[in-house]
Amino acid sequence: MIDGPHERDHELDTTAAELRRRALSLFGRSLHIRTVDTGSCAVCESEIRLLAAPHYDLHRLGFFFTPAPRHADLLLVTGPAVRAFDDALSEVVAATPDPKATIAVGACALGGIYEADAFVHGAVDRVVPVDVYVPGCPPSPLALLHGLLVAVGRLAERVSRLSLELDPSNP
Amino acid sequence: MTTAITTLCVIAAGAWLVAAVLAGLAAHRRWGLTAACVASALGGVCAVVAGVELALHGRAARLDLGSSVVGAARFHPEPLAAAFIVLLGLVAIAIALYAPRYHEPGLGTAVYLLVYNLALVASLALLAASDVVTFLVAWESMALLCYLLILRHHKRQGVARSAFLFLALGETGFVLIVAAFVILATHTGTMDLAAIARRAHTVPSAWRTAAFLLALTGFGFKAGIVPLHIWLPAAHPVAPADGSGFLSGVIVKLGVYGIALFGLELERGGPGWWGLVVMIAGAVSALLGILYALMERDLKRFLAFSTIENIGVILVALGGALTFTAYGQRAIGALLLITALYMVVNHGTYKTLLFLETGVIEHAAGTRDMDLLGGLIRTLPRTAVIMLIGVLGIAALPPLNGFVAEWLVFQGLFQGFRIPSHLVGIVIVVVGAAIALTAGLALNAFVRAYGIPFLGMPRSARAGRADERGMPIAGPALLAAACVFLAFGAPLVLATLQRVSRTITGIDIHAQLLTSKLTVLPAHADFSSLSPTYLAAFLVAVAVVPVLIYLAGRPRAKSRSTPVWDGGILNFKARMQYTATTHANPVRVTFDQLYRPHIDLERASDDPAGRSGPVHYRFTVSPIFERFLYRPVVWAVRRLAMLCRPLQSGDVNLYLLYVFVAVVVAYAIYAR
Amino acid sequence: MLWFLRGLRRGIVTTRYPAGTRDRWTDALPSAPAFRAAALTAALADRLEAACPSGAIRRRPNLLSVDLGACTGCGRCIDVGGGAVVESGEFLLAARRREDLIKQVPIDADPERGR
Repeated sequence: MIDGPHERDHELDTTAAELRRRALSLFGRSLHIRTVDTGSCAVCESEIRLLAAPHYDLHRLGFFFTPAPRHADLLLVTGPAVRAFDDALSEVVAATPDPKATIAVGACALGGIYEADAFVHGAVDRVVPVDVYVPGCPPSPLALLHGLLVAVGRLAERVSRLSLELDPSNP
Repeated sequence: MTTAITTLCVIAAGAWLVAAVLAGLAAHRRWGLTAACVASALGGVCAVVAGVELALHGRAARLDLGSSVVGAARFHPEPLAAAFIVLLGLVAIAIALYAPRYHEPGLGTAVYLLVYNLALVASLALLAASDVVTFLVAWESMALLCYLLILRHHKRQGVARSAFLFLALGETGFVLIVAAFVILATHTGTMDLAAIARRAHTVPSAWRTAAFLLALTGFGFKAGIVPLHIWLPAAHPVAPADGSGFLSGVIVKLGVYGIALFGLELERGGPGWWGLVVMIAGAVSALLGILYALMERDLKRFLAFSTIENIGVILVALGGALTFTAYGQRAIGALLLITALYMVVNHGTYKTLLFLETGVIEHAAGTRDMDLLGGLIRTLPRTAVIMLIGVLGIAALPPLNGFVAEWLVFQGLFQGFRIPSHLVGIVIVVVGAAIALTAGLALNAFVRAYGIPFLGMPRSARAGRADERGMPIAGPALLAAACVFLAFGAPLVLATLQRVSRTITGIDIHAQLLTSKLTVLPAHADFSSLSPTYLAAFLVAVAVVPVLIYLAGRPRAKSRSTPVWDGGILNFKARMQYTATTHANPVRVTFDQLYRPHIDLERASDDPAGRSGPVHYRFTVSPIFERFLYRPVVWAVRRLAMLCRPLQSGDVNLYLLYVFVAVVVAYAIYAR
Repeated sequence: MLWFLRGLRRGIVTTRYPAGTRDRWTDALPSAPAFRAAALTAALADRLEAACPSGAIRRRPNLLSVDLGACTGCGRCIDVGGGAVVESGEFLLAARRREDLIKQVPIDADPERGR
């Protein structure tokens, strides 16, 4: 299990991705978030809503919710990308100015629950490019905060170095 | 110069008579219509020039027409009438420019224009009258001619009743006016207005008060003071657009002129409480006027109630002039008189403009109902711009003339602390608060009246097909230009009106009003100041400078255009928009006790979600004045008439008995 | 006023995340499953695959593929797996790439293999 100190991500990336990272890291002190529900059961929305509650208080980290896509820097997308929502989703994405980040929230959005069929794309990243994936059903607000901080580069993501095998010497 | 003014007035009246004859004879042809309007416009120009000269010089020559056999009509234009004469001329020019494209040549138009031009003559005669009889004859002619004006489309439903309401209330007012004049004339022993003014202080104070209150009520019927106003919302929608413009622009001002005449000239130096009564009546009118206006869907009824509101504010200024003068603050009194006259001219310009444009909208889009209009800013672009200027003026938004006038009224009222009496100070504060509330509600009302028809999507197919070609532009454009001139040239206009007020009140506040060429002070240098010209320049700069900065420093990065975010609604229907009724809903709910609306709700089924059919919602404001004031009065008069019926039994012998008794009584009285 | 006094008594309840120590109540949050590879037999792997309602656990030859993106934290794998599957306590699982969420756990096909 990884349980060490949180550290900045020092991976070497391509120039374009690095530039994008830099741009997104500019938002680290003040980020405006727009939530987009592409057909979820709204439990992910409840957890997202709790972020503004005193227990988690995302405002102390410089994050804010905004209803206007024009003012948004980051899109928090839930739901399995229902096809009936396609036009509205593309309108939201078009209305959000660049640079922007997109976070897919919840098992539905990650493609874990629904297969693609006539009604649903199944996963958000089949419709919009996604920067960070936050799994969970629903992800707790702390997991969401972690995802947001990873998206703006204030924290390193840890799951790539995570192993689900229990250490034999440490049962 | 003084003869020139009177000569110009005579020429104006002559031009209007010529226009009336031309209209009556030839307006069923296009050339006749145009010729009549040209003559009318010329008369208007003469009237404007005459009015301005009268304001600047303060004196005009007398004119006596007729002889001792027929009866003489005596005219002597006074400076108080100057602003009203200018307004009359300006409105006449604007309507003359508007009428050829608005009216179709024909017999109805011919009669209408004949009557209208005669009404212009009657109004000018009324404003220039120097004699009680001349005044009353001119007043009555004006009222009857306006009655005929309203009856233009007499075959349509409701027109005859509305015109009758105008006539009935006008005649009731006329009786009271006659009574007021009779009181003054008998006590001063003369019929000449100037002589009455000189001897007014000899009239016992109880009679003077009675005359003033009778005049206030009598002229109030014409001016539209609540609760004497009910003819306004009835008559304005049924008259043609230029007729409504004339009614609101000129005729109701004649009521204000009458009140000003009695308060300032004839009964100068009345007790202070007269002014307070006028102020309170004005404040109540203003507030109730705008509250009822907010509930109206018909553009013309809305504008009629807005007129009631504006007249209320003018009366507050006028009453303030009377009050402050009576309590020793003559400079502020003069300021408020100037403000009242300024507001008279202002209101004439923007209200007439709005009525004329409503006529254009009605012809272009087929309806006056705000809930069926929409998107007119795209289909009627020039109308939209001109009407916007009118709306900015009437909503008292800087930098236009309405704002300058409201500022002056408030600055005058704020100085109520200079009056030693606490009670009067409190009344002034309450009146000021009422006018402030009115101003806020007026802004809301005009956002609604402009936004719902002009912005958004058309709410009916007919409104979507609105077409501006062939619609009158010149008349409303002239009035819009006048609004802008009255605003940017406010110091000039106020200086001119100051000369009028100097003649009336006897004190000169030019130095206290306009210390520098472009700044206006409310009669006291240490209180506040406003420069309409600098304000206008500042606003233009504030609008232009960011644009220049953007153009100079435009980001060179690639930019992407996307449609405005509309919430992701894909299929925007016109019915999803706000309507005029819903826009005014917060006010309706707040003032529910005043409106006591009758709400009719019909559902296709009892299913609360209304799934199986449309839901009909009808909302009607309670007509409290008709119900609680007019109907009881009418009932009482009827009862009295029924009681008197036995006197007219039809029996000849009874009538002979009446004659005998009358002869005996007359003998008894005169034998003394 | 009462709210203010109550707040003073209770102190600050906002989490200090990402700074400060872990809050105690996070131990109760649902988290990803962790597997004891030594106890993971083929038969157990098949049972785990059948038990997972969202198909996060899939049986591959010699491997158990666990898709954390599909895991709903229902806990059935823990119930079925006996002591072989426990809660890992890991719930901060944000990933930049989708494939980082798919974890492999080797199946111990030979139960006789030593530790």
